[in-house]
Amino acid sequence: MIKLENVTKTYKGDVPALRNADVEIAKGEFVFLVGASGSGKSTFLRLVNREERPEQGRIFVAGKDILELSSWKVPYLRRNIGSVFQDFKLLTGKTVYENVAFALEVIGRPKHVVKTQVPAILELVGLGGKMDSFPHELSGGEQQRVSVARAFVNRPLILLADEPTGNLDPATSVGIMRLLDRINRTGTTVLMATHDRSIVDTMRRRVIELDRGAIVRDQHRGVYE
Amino acid sequence: MALKLDYMVRETGTNLFRNLSLTIASILTVAVSLSLVGGSVLLRYSVDNATQQWQGGIEFIVFMQPEATQAQSDAVERQLTESTQVERFEYFDQERTFEEFKDLFQNTPQIVESVTPDILPPSFRVVPVDKSAETIESLRSVFVTQPGVREVVAAFDSIRTIRNLSNLIGVGLMVVAGFLLLAATLLILNSIRMAMFARRREIEVMKLVGASNWFIRIPFMLEGVFQGLIGSGFAIGVVFGVQRVFDNIAADQRFSLFSGLVVDNQQVMTTSVFVMVTGVLIGALGSAFAVSRFLDV
Ligand SMILES: Nc1ncnc2c1ncn2[C@@H]1O[C@H](COP(=O)(O)OP(=O)(O)OP(=O)(O)O)[C@@H](O)[C@H]1O
Ligand SMILES: [Mg+2]
Repeated sequence: MIKLENVTKTYKGDVPALRNADVEIAKGEFVFLVGASGSGKSTFLRLVNREERPEQGRIFVAGKDILELSSWKVPYLRRNIGSVFQDFKLLTGKTVYENVAFALEVIGRPKHVVKTQVPAILELVGLGGKMDSFPHELSGGEQQRVSVARAFVNRPLILLADEPTGNLDPATSVGIMRLLDRINRTGTTVLMATHDRSIVDTMRRRVIELDRGAIVRDQHRGVYE
Repeated sequence: MALKLDYMVRETGTNLFRNLSLTIASILTVAVSLSLVGGSVLLRYSVDNATQQWQGGIEFIVFMQPEATQAQSDAVERQLTESTQVERFEYFDQERTFEEFKDLFQNTPQIVESVTPDILPPSFRVVPVDKSAETIESLRSVFVTQPGVREVVAAFDSIRTIRNLSNLIGVGLMVVAGFLLLAATLLILNSIRMAMFARRREIEVMKLVGASNWFIRIPFMLEGVFQGLIGSGFAIGVVFGVQRVFDNIAADQRFSLFSGLVVDNQQVMTTSVFVMVTGVLIGALGSAFAVSRFLDV
């Protein structure tokens, strides 16, 4: 589903943020990206949805070389990739329902699809009763659920999560991880950057460790370190 | 598709209102600069119209009294034929003068109705062998004293001044308008940039979920085009106003020797279309620049 071939990414002539990365991730896998701050985890994720381009190497998503895509096709790539972040990136002026609906509206999905999909996905993430609340009326965990709902409402092939539990307490984090696990079970490939040792150690999924841009470990059913 | 159109209109509307003061500033600048453009185009048309009797090398005109006798008219004609300083000339009788008059005042039928051929002065339109002031002055002094001659008007003392003056004014207006149009484009660019800044969170999310580049751009482009269009609307109002003013001036001096600053409706339409197209182009240009430079999609 995702394949990096000898990928090197350097920001403005500095030391590489990702160095000669060779990785292959199969459809339906759940992969943790771990490593110290600045080791290149976010860079890895941004390369997959072409927010960044590497200087060297090739990146395949669903069999296609995404570096060959012309820029007007990049949005269509991103419709197959959901993204979740530490800071949720919710729109404060919109309700929970509107935040999720927005993701469908702006890619031109018809009204009836929006009307059926949005309540269904909000039900799935456990927020069926909070559709008309605004983000500031929700707890951090609930906001992250909205953001997961938004990322998943279009049923992407891949879900990228950059420290999704970074702002949450351990109990709430477990809730979010259950949700991501559930999404993964539907066949969605999940790629998650994290510093959360206990989560990695309890889930026992594939772990890729980065150190100053280099992949230093790639372990099946791995642990944090 | 219906949903999309809906969305575009809603977004454009919200954007326009979010930055009301900057929007108004852009619209006003477009309006003022395009008014100057429209005004100078109209002035150009109008001077061409007003001096149309003087085209084709005609350097002076001998106006006869409307009640001049045939003998007086024949005498002047004979003298023109015999003069070595006259290359050629043409006689405009009262009917032909009336036709010309109707043509010049086609927008103001009330003026045309108040005039009949028999009160208009017939005239000889004269092309001299050379255009020097001395030749023309000597011809003029010959004819002005002839019986039945009402007046001799030479191009060099009125028309040239008017043409030169109007060229000068026209160029001046265009230069000022050019700077203002540049200012208008930059203002539109900035107001679109502000709108994009105000909506940066939405734009970020749209990019993330895969909204197409044009879907993100179009509301901002529309906003710029809309500002240009509204501005040009005001300017078109000014163009029509100027036509009215010209007509009024013309009505005051219908018997004067050059026919006032008239412009016909066709010319006003052409000017208006030109102004509108310029407005839309400026809006599109300013917003396209903002979108391509600062949106980064
Ligand atoms: N936009 C950027 N411009 C310049 N340098 C950048 C940029 N983004 C990241 N970097 C640099 O690239 C390196 C990798 O950064 P990255 O954000 O991928 O690390 P990370 O593993 O996600 O770190 P963290 O755990 O703190 O989120 C760092 O040295 C960082 O300073
Ligand atoms: Mg990071």
